[in-house]
Amino acid sequence: MQGDEASVEGAIHAGCRFFAGYPITPATEIAERMAKRLREADGVFLQLEDEIAAIAAIIGASWTGTKAMTATSGPGFSLMQENLGYACMTETPIVIIDVQRGGPSTGQPTRAAQGDVMQARWGSHGDYETIALAPNSVQEMFDLTIEAFNLSEKYRVPTIVLSDADIGHMRGTFVVSNSIDITDRKYHLKPVSYNAFAYDENLIPNFPKFGEGHRVHITGLTHDISGYPKTTDPKVHEALVTRLVNKIRLHRNNICRAEIINPQAEKLIVAYGSPSNSVYEVLNERADIGLFRPITVWPFPEEKLRESAQYAKKILVLEMNMGQLYWEVERIARQSPCEKIELFTKLGGDVHAPDEILERCA
Amino acid sequence: MTPVRPKIDETYCKGCNICVAICPVGVYTVGKSTSARGYVVPIIKKPQECVDSKRNPNEKKKCELCIYVCPDQAIDWENE
Amino acid sequence: MNFFDFYRQDRWPHMFCPGCGVGTVMNTFYRAFAESGLDQNKTVFVAGIGCSGRIPGYIRADSLHTTHGRPLAFAGGIKVANPKLKVVVFTGDGDLGAIGGNHFINACRRNIELTVICINNYIYGMTGGQASTTTPRDLLSSTTPFGNREYPFDLSEVAVAAGANYVARWTTFHVKQMTKSMHKALLKDGLSFVEIASQCPTQFGRRNDLNSAREVFDWLKSNSVPRSKARDLSEDHLDLNLMGKITVGEFVERNRESYMKAIGVMK
Repeated sequence: MQGDEASVEGAIHAGCRFFAGYPITPATEIAERMAKRLREADGVFLQLEDEIAAIAAIIGASWTGTKAMTATSGPGFSLMQENLGYACMTETPIVIIDVQRGGPSTGQPTRAAQGDVMQARWGSHGDYETIALAPNSVQEMFDLTIEAFNLSEKYRVPTIVLSDADIGHMRGTFVVSNSIDITDRKYHLKPVSYNAFAYDENLIPNFPKFGEGHRVHITGLTHDISGYPKTTDPKVHEALVTRLVNKIRLHRNNICRAEIINPQAEKLIVAYGSPSNSVYEVLNERADIGLFRPITVWPFPEEKLRESAQYAKKILVLEMNMGQLYWEVERIARQSPCEKIELFTKLGGDVHAPDEILERCA
Repeated sequence: MTPVRPKIDETYCKGCNICVAICPVGVYTVGKSTSARGYVVPIIKKPQECVDSKRNPNEKKKCELCIYVCPDQAIDWENE
Repeated sequence: MNFFDFYRQDRWPHMFCPGCGVGTVMNTFYRAFAESGLDQNKTVFVAGIGCSGRIPGYIRADSLHTTHGRPLAFAGGIKVANPKLKVVVFTGDGDLGAIGGNHFINACRRNIELTVICINNYIYGMTGGQASTTTPRDLLSSTTPFGNREYPFDLSEVAVAAGANYVARWTTFHVKQMTKSMHKALLKDGLSFVEIASQCPTQFGRRNDLNSAREVFDWLKSNSVPRSKARDLSEDHLDLNLMGKITVGEFVERNRESYMKAIGVMK
């Protein structure tokens, strides 16, 4: 089936029983398949008036203890940013599939791009951290959607699957493993009226599901562990915001994933999503080329890249944008002996061709 | 039958005088002195006029417009 | 149920200005809820941004204080995901009638089972007195220092036209009628909309020659007229300035199928 459709299957497998969305090319197939599959799975599908309502509805649904997802592309993802920040602030587990297309603005609705990468990290205002995954195949649309749910449940953070028009629409087969790990958020078991946001050394509070007598107040305003708004005390804000960020940073080792082929290669290609598929072909032909493919784009697998960068004489970053993840790579690789850190941009929707890549690795 | 009278809690009252405006029989009137909190709290000038004061304390009240309206929840009943 | 069984006593005295109508709505809503027999443990309060949106923070119940204009969207998600929960929305004229307009009309159209309490103070209070979509023409605000050039929305009429099952409007003077409407709204199927014309002495009153809470309160009282009397054939339907009146009463009571039944999450 299509990548978009495989993502739906992954979501259902992960326990997602609520989808709210708005049609947008090239993510519409996710909504359409969800409309059918959720009825079969006894879940709920809503087509809402806009993307802002969609992300609001999935946040609301998540507070009833329901795993919820939406799917969109660039223009919709931009609309969702305010409420994405709200989900971070309130630590609401949700999954957003962003099937990227040419931008900015209406751009190229039917062609692939990777222009939302920085937005997935910095799109909303204020200090927060998200998790973003980048699939490069139909199999990964299935696997990484499940992983997105697991991560968002475990860390109580919105998790984004950064796909693109090619991965979303390509057709292929995928394998459904017999043993798939599903993570559920940790609930408060006894009614907790006060200090619902108390946390331990993991920095992740237990989740007070609505309707169980917790009588908890959830707000986007700066709050302390009681949940009540406390907006004028600098210490309260600092404590909250540093915890929201450190909640992810503390667990980087468990979250970050990368595919690394030929890690000690002289010429290291950093690629994610669609362009990485061209690199596999290149690797067949040359033993001096390696691939570093971040699977978690955010948090970026810094430590793993730093290791590989020690051996590289040249690092080539493939992106279907004018340089976004490039800056992360450049920042990290500058600390290594590698002197040549290049960006190979491909705009307009075509993927970097293997011979084009080989040319750059002459 | 023990009559009741309304009373104003000065720790909550912010002197808005809406009770003065809403009472149909003129129980309240605008005050003159400042409370400890700094507001000019209304005076209960004619408690005997209060429609509900003529009821038994356990009887269901019929008016209570002042209690319904008070934005600061400063009005309640007091037994004599 | 006592007042402080319903509300959080540890947060009293509350933050609202002297004479603010929000305080009155807290009284009437509490009474309506107490009489409804609803389980506070199974009720979720959803709020928008603005003074009216601060009410749920004072209620001893699960509450979601959301982003500006969006409480109806969040509330719809909660209700559809767990139809057993009772969901009540507190919003204001700006939150609902400006930035939230799209969610407002669509929620009414869908007839999602929500009780929506909209406190209309004809101004943007929390942010310091800017014009709202319900500020009457010619009135002053901090962004219309020479007089508002726009005509206002009649939010209740919008709710009627969009399909809400129950629509009522009262002013803060009409405390008994307001309580009764809220009580009806809590127990009715589909979307129930109760608009309360409320005094904002600090921002609205001060700028418009109504120099005390009492004066704004009296202004609301003296300008209110029963809808049945005001809306007759001779009236100019194009006069969106509402003929200078606030029509009050129960605007509509109907039994359109609620969204939950329509999509099959509730029998």
